[in-house]
Amino acid sequence: MKTRFEDEKLKWIPLLILLVFFFPFVLKSATFSYKYYLYVINLAGIYMILTVGLDILSGYTGLMSLGHAAFLALGAYFSAIMVDQLGLPFELSLILTPMLVGCFGFIIGFPALRVQGIYLGLTTMGFGFIVKRLIIVFNEWTGGSAGLSVSNAKLFGWTINSDWENYFIIYFFVIIAIIIGRKIVRSKLGRAFMSIRDSEQAAIASGINLAKYKMISFFISGSFAGLAGVLFAHTSNFISTDHFDILLSIYFIVMVMIGGIGSIYGAVLGTLFIVLMENLFIPLFEDGLSKFIHLETGDFQAFIFGLIMLIFIIFQPLGLYGMWLKMRIYWKIFPFNPRKRFT
Amino acid sequence: MKKHLFRTLYASILLIGCGNQTPSPGVTDEEILIGNIQDLSGPIKELGLLIPAGSQMYFDYINEQGGVNGRKIRMITEDHGYNPQKSVTAAKKLIEKDQVFCLYNVIGTSPAEAIRPILEENGVPLIAPATNSSTMSDMSRKGAKYIFHTDAGYDLQTKVLINYILSKNPDAKIGFAYQDDDYGENALLGAAEAERMNGVTVQKESFQRGATDFVGQTSNFMKGGCTDVIIGGIVREPVTIMKTAQAMNYKPNFYGLGPTTDKRVGLLAGDAGEGFITAYWAFHPESNNSGPIFYRELCDKNNVPDKMRGLYHYYGFATAFVLVEGLKRAGKNLNRQRLIDALENFKNWDSGVLPPITYSRNDHAGVESVMLLQLQGGKQVEITDWID
Repeated sequence: MKTRFEDEKLKWIPLLILLVFFFPFVLKSATFSYKYYLYVINLAGIYMILTVGLDILSGYTGLMSLGHAAFLALGAYFSAIMVDQLGLPFELSLILTPMLVGCFGFIIGFPALRVQGIYLGLTTMGFGFIVKRLIIVFNEWTGGSAGLSVSNAKLFGWTINSDWENYFIIYFFVIIAIIIGRKIVRSKLGRAFMSIRDSEQAAIASGINLAKYKMISFFISGSFAGLAGVLFAHTSNFISTDHFDILLSIYFIVMVMIGGIGSIYGAVLGTLFIVLMENLFIPLFEDGLSKFIHLETGDFQAFIFGLIMLIFIIFQPLGLYGMWLKMRIYWKIFPFNPRKRFT
Repeated sequence: MKKHLFRTLYASILLIGCGNQTPSPGVTDEEILIGNIQDLSGPIKELGLLIPAGSQMYFDYINEQGGVNGRKIRMITEDHGYNPQKSVTAAKKLIEKDQVFCLYNVIGTSPAEAIRPILEENGVPLIAPATNSSTMSDMSRKGAKYIFHTDAGYDLQTKVLINYILSKNPDAKIGFAYQDDDYGENALLGAAEAERMNGVTVQKESFQRGATDFVGQTSNFMKGGCTDVIIGGIVREPVTIMKTAQAMNYKPNFYGLGPTTDKRVGLLAGDAGEGFITAYWAFHPESNNSGPIFYRELCDKNNVPDKMRGLYHYYGFATAFVLVEGLKRAGKNLNRQRLIDALENFKNWDSGVLPPITYSRNDHAGVESVMLLQLQGGKQVEITDWID
């Protein structure tokens, strides 16, 4: 069985790595306020790691999660506590935290054995609320709702303390996450996930242990979110419960949807699109538009966001990656396109 | 490729070099650019409209008078939706992209806390973070030397209220309803201090931010025999608690922290709110001091609608005084360090809008006294002088 989008290959990776490596240099020479843009790109990178994991869970295994902000929060707080309060090295936290958060994913996987669809969404959403309350309750460790300051990441004696350095460390892990994600979905594990997504009955009939694979999927997804959390905590230097709310979880779903659910590259593209949209393009529109009509910033952002979502779901349900694939196939068979197939 | 890379690197080094030579970003011969980060889409978005409107009113007045040392003040407002991460994004945008001279009025405790590393990294002053939490003026924290707090802390407000209650009635049994977040946490510090000073125990009941039902807390206060209840909420909380108590026929004296001084409390609570005492740390906008009178004159001149006037609009107006005075004293050759030095030389500076303010190198706390106001016949009346 092949993936949903058949012609994805790893040959993209070296090109991607080159592009990612030279991007900040180009940016630096192009604009003076490159630090701000780099910061936005870094944020997108952290979310990319998470959405790749979310895509494995939602896109490949077909399990809905509205609790991924909570996994991100767990990763961030675990790492902050381990490094700053228990004095463990950052390198160790990079390995331990994703494992720990993965275990939480494993636990959340239990209800997934019984409930499906929107009910699973609600269960994971409940998990999000519980985590938020727990962070407030354990305020001796977490600083409660006043938030927690986090130290900079120290990697093998090298302190990472600027957006420039953050960029390289974050995108190193983004590339690793993409490669691991691609490996997983093309392995036996990934095929099991996809068969569960397509039909649970058929999967059982072909000898797939439903419980085992669903929980593994949650574990993997949780680990990715945990890794994103570690990077989030140590690059933004401040974490607080106000950030990890239900809206952020919905955002993650939107990123995966717009990118093209069921595709690793799609998740990456969607994340980049949403984060850039929110921080760079919408403010630009807004500046232009506010000359003609009076709008309040908050309202406008929500309006544009909703509009994009609607347009994508109605006209492009396969997302950005689906769009790209269609274009590619269109040009491959160019003069012989069957009518009405690519509209 | 290699050659190109070197060229790019060389160009970027040149660019950085140019950057360092500019005396201070955000200041030109005509203009001073300042950045404001408000909640325009989150849980307290109504404040996000009122506070900058109040500040803008004063800046407009100053600009009409010819500006500060010949420079007009221009304010850019960004939204953070009460999300610390968005607050960081907004601060980075303002500092690195828009190149503002300083930040002013970042609303909320956690959003303001989140930008400490950025202030430190770029050496950008933040004047009047719009939160009463006293952690903002804690000089041991990161970036503290760039933050100039104006508000009296929640801890001080709570302490003053408890001391006031005990001075009126030494046998009082005090109840305290607090929000279980940074606001409440800071207020609890003051309660703990007052408990130690007076050797009493305060009955504490928590509620969640955004709660609408207070029957549990109110009946606990009633069971505990509390004669005086302090409410650490904003508007809905004191109104609901007082109305609930009235319905239960439970009649303690009610008190509230700074944010409950809103005039809507009196309007909504009706006779249940009669006698409600609040601790407030600026002159009341309706009072007859020079600052509030000037405020009302400006409001009339600019046709500010009645529903906008009040506590929060006045807050923006009052804190703008501090910023403008700092800019004036920093002189014609304005840069960030000069602004910091100028502010640190405030000695009992009497603005008329706020109680006298003193800053020094080791103290960025600003207002350190509060005044008690009482709701009498639906109007807030000053019942004490400034209390430390």
